[in-house]
Parts: sequence; structure tokens; C-alpha cells
Amino acid sequence: MERAEAAGLGVAVVAHGALLAALTLGLFSAATPPPPAPSIEVSFVEQVALETAAPVPASAPPPSAPEEVAVPDDAPTPSEAAPEAPVLAPAPVPRPTPRPTPPRASDSRDRRRPEEPRQTTGQRARAIRLADLNLDSLGRDPAARPTPQAAPAAAMSAQAAANIAQAIIRQVQPCADRQVHPGPGAERIVTPIRLRLNRDGSLQGRPSVGAQRGLDEENRRYAQRVADLAINAFVSCAPLRGLPAELYAVPRGWSNFTMNYRLPG
Amino acid sequence: MLRRLCIAVAFLGLSPPALAQDADPVAPPAAGAQEDDGQLVVDVTGGQRAALPIAVPSMPTPQSADTPAGNTAALGRQVAEIVAADLRNSELFTPIGPSGLTAPSYPQVTAPDFGYFATTGAQNLIQGFVQANADGQLTVGCYLYDVAARSELARQGYVVAPRDWRRAAHRCADSIFSRLTGEGAYFDTRIVYVSETGPARRRIKRLAIMDYDGANHRFLTNGQWTVLTPRFAPNQQTITFMTFQDERPRVMVYEIDSGRTRPLVNTAYQTFAPRYSPDSRHVIFSMAVNGNTDIYRIPVAGGTPQRLTTAPGIDTGGSYSPDGSRIVFESDRGGSQQLYVMDANGGGQQRISFGGGGYATPVWSPRGDLIAFTRTGSFSIGVMPPAGGAGRILNSGGGAEGPSWAPNGRAIMFTRGLSSGQLWYVDVASGATRRVPTPLGGSDPAWSTLRD
Repeated sequence: MERAEAAGLGVAVVAHGALLAALTLGLFSAATPPPPAPSIEVSFVEQVALETAAPVPASAPPPSAPEEVAVPDDAPTPSEAAPEAPVLAPAPVPRPTPRPTPPRASDSRDRRRPEEPRQTTGQRARAIRLADLNLDSLGRDPAARPTPQAAPAAAMSAQAAANIAQAIIRQVQPCADRQVHPGPGAERIVTPIRLRLNRDGSLQGRPSVGAQRGLDEENRRYAQRVADLAINAFVSCAPLRGLPAELYAVPRGWSNFTMNYRLPG
Repeated sequence: MLRRLCIAVAFLGLSPPALAQDADPVAPPAAGAQEDDGQLVVDVTGGQRAALPIAVPSMPTPQSADTPAGNTAALGRQVAEIVAADLRNSELFTPIGPSGLTAPSYPQVTAPDFGYFATTGAQNLIQGFVQANADGQLTVGCYLYDVAARSELARQGYVVAPRDWRRAAHRCADSIFSRLTGEGAYFDTRIVYVSETGPARRRIKRLAIMDYDGANHRFLTNGQWTVLTPRFAPNQQTITFMTFQDERPRVMVYEIDSGRTRPLVNTAYQTFAPRYSPDSRHVIFSMAVNGNTDIYRIPVAGGTPQRLTTAPGIDTGGSYSPDGSRIVFESDRGGSQQLYVMDANGGGQQRISFGGGGYATPVWSPRGDLIAFTRTGSFSIGVMPPAGGAGRILNSGGGAEGPSWAPNGRAIMFTRGLSSGQLWYVDVASGATRRVPTPLGGSDPAWSTLRD
């Protein structure tokens, strides 16, 4: 190897190294990632639960810049609209959405896409949806959302429902056991009673008896009596104690439930 | 005592959350769907086979007044005692009171002190009042409450002549029994039976009648002739029975109002085992003609007997189904005493019992669902479906025969003790038994229908 060759090789090595470094550094600077979305804890509870129970992202979604939208003159201002928020609250939505801000979009086609709610964990989806908000929703502060939406973790999972049911059964069972079997075949009658409870576990009015099942020629004469027993079984052990307050008003919560009563065979 | 728990929890109306959230929270759910739509459902199974504790305090009177039946204040306590006794007699209740209970004041009759009665352990409460009316009648008011639910379940008032004050109490108990059990009433009824006294060889057997609880007991015959198998007409106007008058067995008809007794059939043949049709217009009975005993039918007022069976042997003990369309009877045509069913005109005869030993004195339940019988040999009382089958023995004590159904088809009265008879009661569903008190020995009880 001549001296000139050695010098050329050295220059080439240095030049390659410089090029590699330059390219590498250049790519780095060019590929600066977007700021990561707020981390979201994802759990696959839907496989076992009947209710989406994904926790809310820690950061509240941006209010979708309502000021960017041209507000009509007759649109409610935020201060006026805020008191309306509780209107939604007394009527529990049959299925609470984990979205912090369930839109009441007038476009029903959009809302009926079944896969939609499952994809609401991303900020981007929320932003789009917020942009779709109709005028009715304008100005409603997400922070003023009723409890079910604001605290989806309190939604009734299958496990929570089972626990509540067990708690109810534990308290009613002693009174159910005191009911006296009226006669042959009465054990085939299933009596549903609908119960409305106050937050303190006491009954809200008399239970109403639903359509009994299992009636036949032999046991029909016991139908009214078994309905008595169903009501007596519950009211004798009312008020219920120790049920979780946060699961009172949620859908399928214990504010309003059905007890199926039957006699042992 | 039976106790079993079964626990389950379920959600009804499952649907994907995405679809469910479309539901407009303001719109009410569709009627009917509400029951199943996303509601917490709790299944509770519990109960026991036991007597129901029920409080029966004394019944107050709005104004104390003397009547032919006694002072209304005293009557109030007696009525409560009868109601409590009736319910206890059914074997389905354990009445509490009137002894040991604080009697309500008159205004409290319709506004009970539920808190107090809850402390007695009673699940239900009976309150009422006794009032003397200006026209000399008595009014008995009767209220039924659920103590835990603090609700009224039934109320009924009865206006009776003072001499019928016990009937008012029975009617009150009947209305409560029906409301709390779902069964038909049967306390306001009477029993006709054979009263027995004296040594076995010279037994005096008299026809006697009493309220179902033994009150108002009186004899209908003087004991000169032995009597057997009395039966109450469903309309309660007549009683038919067999007597050995002049050493000749024959069926007689006793008219309750007039007290007159006459033969059912004018015949020289032996007649026995009478029983009324459900409409009280006919009697079926057995007649032995030239060595062959068959079942015949004749109008209660008399006439020509119509033969229903012709098989060789002894066909006897006929009893109508409650709709009058069929008759169950016993026959030894197959070699042993067994039960058969036939149409009311004698057609379609069919054997329904097949057990060893014998079956006798079948009686069709007023409900139509069972036939009671005496199992001869073991002398026990049992029931079987009209279509036949194994049957179920109700008493294991033995020495029992001659069942008679309560008008509600829930209970049976029968004779126990073949040498010195007693009347016994059995609840068909539970098998609970008790003795029915009679002044002397008794046999062959026949339960009346409910009184008008």
C-alpha cells in the first residue's frame, strides 16, 4: 500500500463515518415523534364484564375549543346550560359509555356504528367527536357530567352485580326461609317483584308483582299467596344495609331491581 | 321441615353496549321489555313446610251490649278464640292469642299496632270487632294483615242472628284460611257421624250431627237401631244412611228440617252404601238381588232404581266425581276388592287399583284430582289419582277406614280404632293428623259442604 493509497483510505473511512453520523443525526432530528398521548390503562374487561370499565384517561379531554365554533345567538351559554346537565342525571343511561363526554349527536347514523364506543380511548377520537357536537351539547362543561359518565369505574360489572346480588340475598334469605309453603305445586311458581329502593336501602313504595311463571292447574290457587310470600320475604328484611353507594344509581344498580322469588321444592 | 337455598344472579336483556347506549335515556322503555331490559335480577329461593304463626287478639266492640248470645265484649274474645282454634285445627297455622296478646282498641282494628305484633313473631294478624245491631243481629268484622309488610290483605263482615255467632267466627276464619293458603274454605261446615257407646256386643250407635269443630252437637236418632254410613246431601237438606231397622239392612233418608226418616227404596232386598250425586238429586246405592250386589241410582225423592253395574260379585261403595259424570266404586269381580271407575250411566268400567290386599270405600275428592280410599288389610287411608296409580298412604297408624273429604279437598276425616272408634283428621298435603273431639266414641264421619 502506497502512502497515497493509505491516505485515501483514511479519508474515505473518515468521510463515511462523517456521512453516517450526519445521516443518523439528521434522521433523528427529522423524526421527532409527536407528543405521546396521555397514557391510558387498557384492560380487556369486556371479555368478562358486561360493561366497559376502562378507566378515564388522567387528563381531561380538551373542551374541543367551543369558542372556535360559531355560536348561534339562541344557543345556550355555558352558564345557562350548566344547570341542564343534571337533567340527564336522574335518568340513568341504560349503558353508560366510558367516554367522558357522550355526545348527543343528532346524527344517529354516526352514533349507531357499533364499534364506535370501543374505540373511544384515544384522544383523537374524542377530539373528532367533540367537533361533531351539536348545538345542544355546546358549552356543557365535561366536568359537570353526571356521575355515571364522570366515574365509569363505578359502572356495574358482572362481578360487582354478583356481589350486590349476594349481599341482597344474604339479607333477604332469612326472611325468605320463614315463608310457609302453602301446598303442592306452589314450589313451581316463580314470582318476580320489582323493587325500588332509596339510597338508605329502604323501600320506595310497595313492591309490584310481575307476571308469575310456572303456574299450572294444580298450583294456580296458590298464585296470590305466593305473591304475598315474595313481598313478605323482602319487606320483612328491609331496609337493606351495606350496599355500595356508588352502585346505587348506575344502570343495573340496586336503586331498582327485580327479585325472583320461589319456594324450595 | 324443609329448607333449601338456591342462589343465582343474572342480567337480563344483554346487548352490546354500543347498541344499548343508543337508547334514549329520556324515552321510557317499551312496556314489557322493561322487566328484562338491563336490570339487576336477584333470584331468591326460600321457604319452609311449617305452620304459619298468626296473631289473633281479642276483638273489641264499639259498644258493649247484651245479646242473646252474650255480651258483645265477651263475644269478641270468643270469636277470636274460635278463629284461632279453626286455624290451629287446619294444622297449617300456629295461632298466637287471644290469650297473652294485648287486645286492640276499636279504632285500632283498622289501624293495627304492627310494631307490637311484630314482636310476637306472627307473620300475619287477624283483627276484628263484634257489634250488636239495632235490629238484633250481630255484625262480626274480620281483617287480615301482613305484619311485616304492614298491609291489609283481606277484610270481610258478617251479619248473623245471635244464635249463629259461631258461624260468623267460622266464616271469618274461612276467609282468612282461603286468603292465606289459596285453598277453599271449610270451617263453616258440619259433620254427621255415628256416635258409639257401650260394650262391643251391645254397642249403641246413634246418628249425630255437629259443627265441624264439635260444637252444637246433637243426636238425630235414639239408638234403637244401629246406623251406619251416614252421608250429607250436598244441599244439606237430607242425610242418607243405612240402618238395621227390624234386623233388615236398608238405606234411609233423614230430612233435616222436619226430622222425618223414610226408606230410600221400597224394596224387600237389602240396600246399603248410599251416596249422593253432586246435584243432590240422586243417590247411588248398592242392592243385593238374588246373590248379586250391584250399584243402582234412584232420585232422592224416590222412584224406580236404575241399575248401573251388572258384573257378578259385589259392586258397592259408589262415589260420584264432582262434575257428576263418573263414578268410582269397589268390586271383587277380579278376585279381590279393587277400585273401578265408570261413566255415570254405568258404561266404560275400568279398574284403577292394582295393589295387593284390598281397596275399599273410595271417595272422589270435591276437587276431582284425587280419590281417597281405605286400604283393607292394613286399614289405612290413602289417595290416588282418578286415572289410577300407586296411591299414597296418609296415615301409618293403622286401624283407619271410611274417609270423607272436606269440601275444599284439602283434608280428610276418617275413623280410627276398629273396636272403639274415634274421628281423626288428616291434612292431605302434609299428612298432619289430629283427633276430632266427640262426646262419645265415633265412626263413619261425613263432611258437609260449606253452609250457605
